[in-house]
Amino acid sequence: MPYRYKPNLRRCLTAAFFAMAAAVIANPQPLLAAPPSGEKVYSELEKEALRFGFIKLTDCAPIVMAKEKGFFEEEGLQVEVIAQPNWKTLLDNVVSGELDGAHMLSGQPLAATIGFGTKAHIITPFTMDLNGNGITVSNSIWEQMQSNDPALDAPQPKHPITAEALKPIVADKLAAGEKLQMGMVFPVSTHNYELRYWLASAGIHPGMYTKSDIGGRTDAEVELSVTPPPMMPATLEAGNIQGYCVGEPWNQQAVAKGIGVPVTTNYDIWKNNPEKVFGITKRWADDHPGTTVAVVKALIRAGKWLDQTDADGAFVNREEAARILSRTDYVGADFEVIKNSMTGYFYFQKSDKRAMPDFNVFFRHQCTYPWYSDGIWFLTQMRRWGQISESKPASWYLDVAKKVYRPDIYEAAARVLVTEGYLEEGDVPFGSDGFKPETDEFIDGIAYDGRKPIEYIRAHEIGNKDPVDLAAR
Amino acid sequence: MAYLELAKVSKGFGPPSQRTAVLADVELAVDENEFVAILGFSGSGKSTLVGILAGLIDPDEGDVMLANKVVVDPGPERGVMFQNYSLLPWLTVEGNIALAVRKVMPGLSRVERAEYVQRYVDMVNLTGSEAKCPDELSGGMRQRASLARTLAMRPNVLLLDEPLSALDALTRANLQDEIVRIWEEDKRTVVMITNDVDEAALMADRIIVLTPGPRATLGPSFDVDLPRPRDRAGLNRDRRFQALRKRITGYMLNFTKTQAGDEARSRRRMPAIEPRVFEAA
Amino acid sequence: MKYKILKAIDVSGLTFLAPIVRLATGEEPDVQIRAIMQMIVVPIVAFAVFVGLWSQLAPRHKTKSGEVPTPAVVWDAAQGIWTFHAREGDKETAYVLAGEQRESALMAAKDRLAEIDPLTELADRQVADAEQEKSAQVAELTAPLRTKLAVVSERYGADQAARKARWMERADRTAVSDTDARLALLGAWNEHDLRTREEREELKNLRAEIDTVGAQAFPALSAAQKAQTAIAEERQFLRKRIEVLTAYNRNEKARAGEQQLADLRSKYLQADGGAAMAGLAANIARTRTRVESIRESNYARPYTLPMQILRSLLCVFVGFLLGSLIAIPIGILCGLSPTFMAAMMPFIALFKPVSPIVWLPIALIVVGGFIPDPDDHWLINGFAGLPLVGWMKINPAFLASAITVALCSMWATMVNTALGVASIDDDHTNVARMLRLSARERLFRIVLPSALPLIFAGLRISLSVGWMVLIAAELLSSSEGIGKYVWDMFNNGASDSFAKMFVVVFVVGSIGLALDRIMIVFQRLVSFDGAPTAI
Repeated sequence: MPYRYKPNLRRCLTAAFFAMAAAVIANPQPLLAAPPSGEKVYSELEKEALRFGFIKLTDCAPIVMAKEKGFFEEEGLQVEVIAQPNWKTLLDNVVSGELDGAHMLSGQPLAATIGFGTKAHIITPFTMDLNGNGITVSNSIWEQMQSNDPALDAPQPKHPITAEALKPIVADKLAAGEKLQMGMVFPVSTHNYELRYWLASAGIHPGMYTKSDIGGRTDAEVELSVTPPPMMPATLEAGNIQGYCVGEPWNQQAVAKGIGVPVTTNYDIWKNNPEKVFGITKRWADDHPGTTVAVVKALIRAGKWLDQTDADGAFVNREEAARILSRTDYVGADFEVIKNSMTGYFYFQKSDKRAMPDFNVFFRHQCTYPWYSDGIWFLTQMRRWGQISESKPASWYLDVAKKVYRPDIYEAAARVLVTEGYLEEGDVPFGSDGFKPETDEFIDGIAYDGRKPIEYIRAHEIGNKDPVDLAAR
Repeated sequence: MAYLELAKVSKGFGPPSQRTAVLADVELAVDENEFVAILGFSGSGKSTLVGILAGLIDPDEGDVMLANKVVVDPGPERGVMFQNYSLLPWLTVEGNIALAVRKVMPGLSRVERAEYVQRYVDMVNLTGSEAKCPDELSGGMRQRASLARTLAMRPNVLLLDEPLSALDALTRANLQDEIVRIWEEDKRTVVMITNDVDEAALMADRIIVLTPGPRATLGPSFDVDLPRPRDRAGLNRDRRFQALRKRITGYMLNFTKTQAGDEARSRRRMPAIEPRVFEAA
Repeated sequence: MKYKILKAIDVSGLTFLAPIVRLATGEEPDVQIRAIMQMIVVPIVAFAVFVGLWSQLAPRHKTKSGEVPTPAVVWDAAQGIWTFHAREGDKETAYVLAGEQRESALMAAKDRLAEIDPLTELADRQVADAEQEKSAQVAELTAPLRTKLAVVSERYGADQAARKARWMERADRTAVSDTDARLALLGAWNEHDLRTREEREELKNLRAEIDTVGAQAFPALSAAQKAQTAIAEERQFLRKRIEVLTAYNRNEKARAGEQQLADLRSKYLQADGGAAMAGLAANIARTRTRVESIRESNYARPYTLPMQILRSLLCVFVGFLLGSLIAIPIGILCGLSPTFMAAMMPFIALFKPVSPIVWLPIALIVVGGFIPDPDDHWLINGFAGLPLVGWMKINPAFLASAITVALCSMWATMVNTALGVASIDDDHTNVARMLRLSARERLFRIVLPSALPLIFAGLRISLSVGWMVLIAAELLSSSEGIGKYVWDMFNNGASDSFAKMFVVVFVVGSIGLALDRIMIVFQRLVSFDGAPTAI
């Protein structure tokens, strides 16, 4: 079948809509950004009234900003943005058709497509952001870590902080017949993989998933359990868990309330790691090709708006974004709390505020492009920890990534934006093979190349390893 | 030829091992348009007897015969006026009567039915209270409503189960007069249960005494040969009335002495139907 | 007249109004005043005492997760909820406004924006000042502590180093054979270790003390922040409203589309050749479709609490209706037939105690099975077409919540109906038998009317159970409603989230009370025995 999303302008309407709209508006007003040089190109919309779901985390920003800043409206879409109680319900609602699309964990479309958990063919034409998570431990664990590693006992300890200082605590607990308990938000969440990566990089076994152990605790030295993000601080305070890995604002909340200390962010675990994606079902995308392109266009513009900087490199729109996100129907946390990480700062302790301009990346580093290599990384983690229970050949990883990650749709949308003048040609890796260059910017320095999944899995000490001969298949 | 007959009727209650025979070998014959009063002690099985006559209670043995035919089920041709009125509390006086009328005379139009009901309301002097619900009425008025309902059914046999026993003396006297008046205007067979000798003598053609239970049965029958209309005030001075009363009370007092009436009174009749206990899950 | 009012008061169960009516007509003033004292003044005083205690006690209870809001804060939160609702409503109307109305609304919004724009700067400055003042004050307050910390920490560091050095020195001097000395040294090390730990503890406490001072509430700052937030939010609202009144306005968009259509048409008329004409013709057709759909489109507004309350009410009503439609017939059959009752008993006993949390996922799966595509299903479309409730967007989550309400609440009605039917008065049965009523007549003329008071008592319990269950069901199913609002507030974890949840407490309580009173009125209307139905 010839592919239907090619940036085929015949499918779209061209018109100088915006210029004329401005002309007929009785009172032209200065609040809207002036339209760029190009002409507005309309997609043929199969559906105009849409419902998108999100979880109350700051990285839902692209969807919220696309609505509040009118990017959806400029594409002719009326979008309702609805908070979902948890990742499972969110996915179920997308699968059932209750939602048209949603803010998803990177692992969700992959897991759903390969049938781990809810089975459904979900695709993602848009990656929402990079980074944005942190690992927080309770005050008492932090003190013990400090006494294990006196270097941590400083107002601003040197980063990255590895789990080395946690190791003796885990060992003590094990000797006493207990296991350290830590929270993460979903079995296929980036948080789960990042927390596991951080622990395993210091030689702490976070437990394996097996066919019979879907909780992922087999051989665990530290037991991980699923806790919804907003419950994290309360669960930590109640002592049910001693640490957690979660997105914002829940790490800053722990600092603000004085109940825990973020020890590291996922930026330190893997610099510029992909985080959330925008997920829709394959069927929906097939039924609404024009709407899909229009949605992606709006999302790309929202991401760009979020990452806009002034001449000094300071974010110009993030404070406004934080203000919008603090509305009760969006993230709803206090503006002051959201503002920190959104404007590029992060409190590790009350006395330890650091600039982290890349804590949330919504557009830079070509991050919104759906890279196959990002999908493959999550698949390698699923295999490493046993969520994928059988060995798979290297080609399988790319096949799955291609089924889920859809740069073709992204490029179609981006192409129109370039025509319209909203994007520069260089903002988008047009015609890329979908692989980011090899990187070793991980906390343990192990290099990752999306073309070599089997070798990458084998490079880690803890976790499943597959036979080398699968690499060539 | 008797119109309403009981032949060898017996009835007992309780499980077979300790069955209490309430009525035993009751024989009764009532002529057409005759007003019979059955006079009994409390607890002697009077209500059971009415129940059997009405067909509401099945006798263990024996038959109820109406115009020479055995009847089994209750029916509107034997109208019962219950001791505790048995008006449906969610319906008005009019509604209660209309319910019976609708059943007995299904052919009437709405207007005809309303007229018909009104006639009976007027007959029992309840005019003006048609739209009231039973709990807004006094005891006497309720019994009037009950009477109107029973009469409206145009029963061949009117069974009155101690209809006036719950009422005060004045109301009672009024109603006695009215029942007799209505009966005289529109004669039909009446069996009235009562525990009041004067009432029986005032109203009935014949008085039959129900012997005290257990194993109660009908005793001798006393004809009341007083001329009608009977004058309540004059009756007390009437020699025949005095003699009749003396005979009946004498007969009954005799029972009390010889048949260990105390024992009979202390053995309460078992309730006719056991209340079903609902077990909440 | 007076008696009519009194009767109405009695039926409605608002008996506390009776003394006022009586007093107004001058009936036994002493008695009425005493009754008023008891029925009206005492509850008001009790509530006032409660509010007073609450406002006194709340600020004293603080946890790390937040503080208990005072009545004033809760009142603020309620107003905030209303403002949010009103603003979203304004945006929604702005989307469809046309002509002069649109222009005057635009003018008003612009004026207001011009009015508050300068305030923004002021508010920002005030916050900055307050922050500065706070940090100055904190610095001042903590200065002695920090000095102490520095001194002590330095001294302890030196002490520790000195102790360790002394110990090392001694250790160096002990010979291998000198076991006693070595053991003594071990003791000395332990002592040093203990001292070190004590010193560290002391330092930790000092730091905690500094933190506590720093974390102290600073009313001027929170007031400034509150003012800043209020202005920033209004500003944001006004800007969005202006956008929705202009470029994103439905009629403006349609007008622009039409303009474009006219342009295309004239281009088409002048076009050369079949290919160009075909392209333009297709273009015209598409543009026309788009303009038409713009005309019918509506602003995608988020659900606000007042809307969620209405939707919850509809949900509980649907669930209650569904439950009653199941429970009453089954209850009647149970009451009429002991055999049927015996057959039903295991099910009633088994299902009655099951929690809504268990029913809901099952209901979701079942409903999902019947509604594969929520965008196109007769039931969903049917609801959407209804007046008054069409905007509520009935979806599978809503239906699952309603079914959960039905499953949890119907038992009281079922059991009460069975009880009412089974315990029908023998006298009434006798009347039915004497009149030879048919089975149907008996059911509708005798059994049901006689069981009605008990059925309604059951319905009343069902409704209040349903209302309680609904909140949990909505919370789990994320069906838009009060339950979802609570969950969202809990998720928000903002400083006013607790206060908003308190608002919900009062809303849920008041609605529950109102529903109960309504059911009491119904119960009174059907009850014939004049028995008291409720306090």
